[in-house]
This record gives sequence, structure tokens and C-alpha cells, in this order.
Amino acid sequence: MQSMLGPERKVGMDMDALMLRSLQGYVLDTFGLASWQEICRRAELSVETFEPMLRYDPGTADRIAQVAAQVLGRPVEAVWEDVGTYLVTNPDREGVRRLLRFGGMSYADFLHSLEELPGRARLAMPDLDLPEVTLDEVGPDQFELRCQSHLAGTQRVLVGMLTAMADDYGALCLIEPVAADCTKISVLDSRHSKARAFALAMPER
Amino acid sequence: MHAELPVHRLDLDSSDLAQFMPMHLLLDGEGRALSFGPTLARVLQELAVPGMRFEEMFEVRSPGGAVTVSDVLGRAGNRFRLLPRNGVRVGLRGLGLRLPGGDKILLNLSFGIDLIAAVRELALTDADFAATDLAMELLYLAEANAAVTRELRGLNVRLEGARMAAEEEAMTDPLTGLRNRRAVDLILERLCAARASFGLLHMDLDYFKAVNDSLGHAAGDFVLESVGRILREQLRAEDCAARIGGDEFVVIIVGRSDPKTLQSIAERIIARICQPMDFEGQECRVSASIGIVRSTDLATPEATQLLATADRALYAAKHAGRGRAVLLVSRGE
Repeated sequence: MQSMLGPERKVGMDMDALMLRSLQGYVLDTFGLASWQEICRRAELSVETFEPMLRYDPGTADRIAQVAAQVLGRPVEAVWEDVGTYLVTNPDREGVRRLLRFGGMSYADFLHSLEELPGRARLAMPDLDLPEVTLDEVGPDQFELRCQSHLAGTQRVLVGMLTAMADDYGALCLIEPVAADCTKISVLDSRHSKARAFALAMPER
Repeated sequence: MHAELPVHRLDLDSSDLAQFMPMHLLLDGEGRALSFGPTLARVLQELAVPGMRFEEMFEVRSPGGAVTVSDVLGRAGNRFRLLPRNGVRVGLRGLGLRLPGGDKILLNLSFGIDLIAAVRELALTDADFAATDLAMELLYLAEANAAVTRELRGLNVRLEGARMAAEEEAMTDPLTGLRNRRAVDLILERLCAARASFGLLHMDLDYFKAVNDSLGHAAGDFVLESVGRILREQLRAEDCAARIGGDEFVVIIVGRSDPKTLQSIAERIIARICQPMDFEGQECRVSASIGIVRSTDLATPEATQLLATADRALYAAKHAGRGRAVLLVSRGE
């Protein structure tokens, strides 16, 4: 059994924890408890629950995702993309979609706001270091999104989220990873369908 | 140090102003409305009418005592706090300036800390705020904070659940599911500290070694599990049954100190244990001896002394021929 938590078990968010928690939620909600337990067993985890607020050894998320890909019988890239889509579209995680929709009124506004995302995240959690993101407008409705992360899965999660957010904004887009750290986004029709409603006021719980 | 810059006079019409300051209010020199920024107009609703007087639109919360726009500008430099008079519960902060020439007054307002209430009540969108406004950041922060708090609360609930499960496990005898020695010590300590009245039964199985030796450990374990089941059946939820050693049990019966009651509970338990148990077609026969002590027999009940007394009572029961329960009255301190 490998211990999941290093000796310096600190509270505070990091990318591995966020990705692991998201992967866990995606597998549990989509494939059920048995699949998740099988992943934990094959990965020789000492626990079956990842906590978003605890720290895990860097790279743990990629390692567990490889196991998940084997168990689910799909490429690891597809698993991470689905996790990204799940984060935006799962009704229980409405908070993620809402926070992203604060990015702006149009999909292009939203894309540009991604550069501010690490800063926005630090407002709420000073010790959360999201990977830096840069967006270049390389032509009319053509963007290149660059993101440096120590985790291979980050780019694919972003692709999944970008795809789901395009739906949310009602934009028709072509989103394709062109390098390990670069994703190309072509907005073909920014008003392809009706955008999902978004009110600034937080829904009452 | 400010460098001396040349003064530039601007000539803006109210539509430009509306774009830069969606919450401005332009008044004439007498305090009558000339134009409104579009977002302020949404706040004021039916009050957003040209010619409306400042004091008809707003109640001045600060500076105290000010009523008209001249009072406001005269009394507090150029900062103030207002409440609209149309019942919208949204405070407004602002600053104001009498424009050169003196025939116009320009106020620029903002929601301050009432931003979230205003967004909710007036269904504002990001188009209602100037791009320079930090409103979106504040709203974003409020939601992000709520999400983080929710996660922390979730973490606390999960950790508390894990802590309780671990504690439960640490107090449980895995074979029988009864409490263990540690639990007995804690419960006795608590009951003694509270000067509660209770009966303590110390039970030892008779002929258990014979079952173990002749039929094997699996049969022995089966007997112990069966005794655990019997104790659970014979006791109330508030009582405590524990296995504190190999074939040694302790039962705490809360709120009972009548000797007859305790004696009959003990005898009922013995009678059930004496019934033959069937282990994979083999008959296991054991019996039990019980020593009983009451917390009320001690002037100041104390765990070790109670256990020692119960142990003496158990010895007496064994000595009297097994399969019996003996209540021993402690000679006290």
C-alpha cells in the first residue's frame, strides 16, 4: 500500500487534489461505485476518497487517471476531457459553470477571461496555484490557448471545459489540442444556439 | 508630488456620460434631475423622471441632517450615502461635484457593499456595469468563497464521520461486535463521575476451555459470537455489554440497583447460555458464572473498586458450583 499523503499533510488546494476529486466525482456519478473501487484497488490506494482541500504528491492525478483509463477501457485523454465536461455540465457542480460564466457576456469574452482565472482563484484561496494561461488571438475568431501544468491531464480537462462552455454560450466551435501545451479554438458561429440562462445573482440554496 | 499638468476642459454629452458612468445623476443647479445613467434609472424605477428633485428621490443617510443636494455637497466634502425613496433596499455611495458655472451638479453613485442585494433585487447583468467597475470581481469572489466554504464544510463532515467510525472501531470487540475493555473503562468512569446508579455484571464462561480443546478454535469463536448475540438480545440499548478478555464479559445495566432485578437478569442470561449451541452439527455446551455488584453499594463508586468487587462476586459464584449468579455487597471504604 502506498501512502497517498506525504508527511507534510497540509490543508490547502492544489492541482492534483482538484483533478483527483473531479476524476472521482466523474467516475462515481457516471460509472458507479464498483468502477471507482476497482480503480482504487488497482492503483493500490490506501483510501477511496480524495479530498479537494488536502495535498497529494505531485503527479498523483496523472497516475490514477492512467489506472482509470485501463479500468474504463478508454484513452486517458478522453477520460480527462469527459472530466472537464462533467465539471461544467453536472447539475450538482453548478458552481463551476457559474464561476466560469462570470468571465463575460460572449464566448470570446470568456476565452479572454481565462488569463485572469489564476488571479480570480487566488482571491478565494490564496494558496491555490492554478496553471498560468495565455490566450492569443491569432486571427478573426481564431485563438490559441497555452497552459503550462505539471500534470499532463490539465490540457484535456481544459478542452472538455471549453467544449462544454461553448455549448453554454451557444457558440459553435472547433477545439483541438495542437501541442502538449497548446489548444486551438476556432469560433465558427458565436450565436449558433441559444445560450443557457445566467443571472449574476447567486441562486438561493 | 504631482507634476503641474495643463487643465483640460471636457465637453461630454449625457449619452457619453451614460456609457462611462452608468450610475450617474446630472442635476440642475437647484437639484432637479436632468439625466440619469441607465443603471441608476433601473434602481430609481418610477422616480427616474427628469425634473424630479434630489430629496424626492433619495433619503440622505450620511452626512447626518442633510436633506437637499446642496446640504450634501456643502456638509461632507463630496462623499455621501443615500437610500432611494422607492422602497428598493439598496444603499448607494457616491461623490458629487458642482460643475463649473454652477448651473449643474454631477453625482456618481455606486452600490458599495449592497452590490449583491442590488444584483438580486434588480436582476442586473454585467452590461449594467462599466468595464472598469469591480462589481464582477466582487460577485465572483462572493460565489467562489461560498464554494470554498461549502467544500470545507464537506471536508469537516467527512472527517468527523471518519473520526466517529475510528472511535467506534477502537471501542468494539471485532469477534462479537460487543464493546471492549477500553469502552468499559470509559463508560464506568463516566457513570461513576455522574454518581449514576447501575449494576455491574462480571461474567465468565464455564467449560469454554473444554469446547476449545475438543472441538477447536472455530467452535470456540462460534460460542463467543453466540454469547455476544445472547447479551445483545437480553439487554436494552442503553446498557453496555463488553468482552474484556478471552471468555470474560462485563455487562453494565444502567439505572437498575434492585438486587432482585439484577439477579433475574443475570439468571436469564445464564439460562440462555446454558442451552446447547449447534456448531456445524456438533453440540457445544457451556455455562456461565456471574458476579454482580451495585454502584449504590459503594459510598464513592470508583471503577477499579467496582470491577474488583465484581471479580470477587464472580469467584464466589464459581466456588458455589458454577452456572450461578452471586450479588456481593461491597463492604465499602
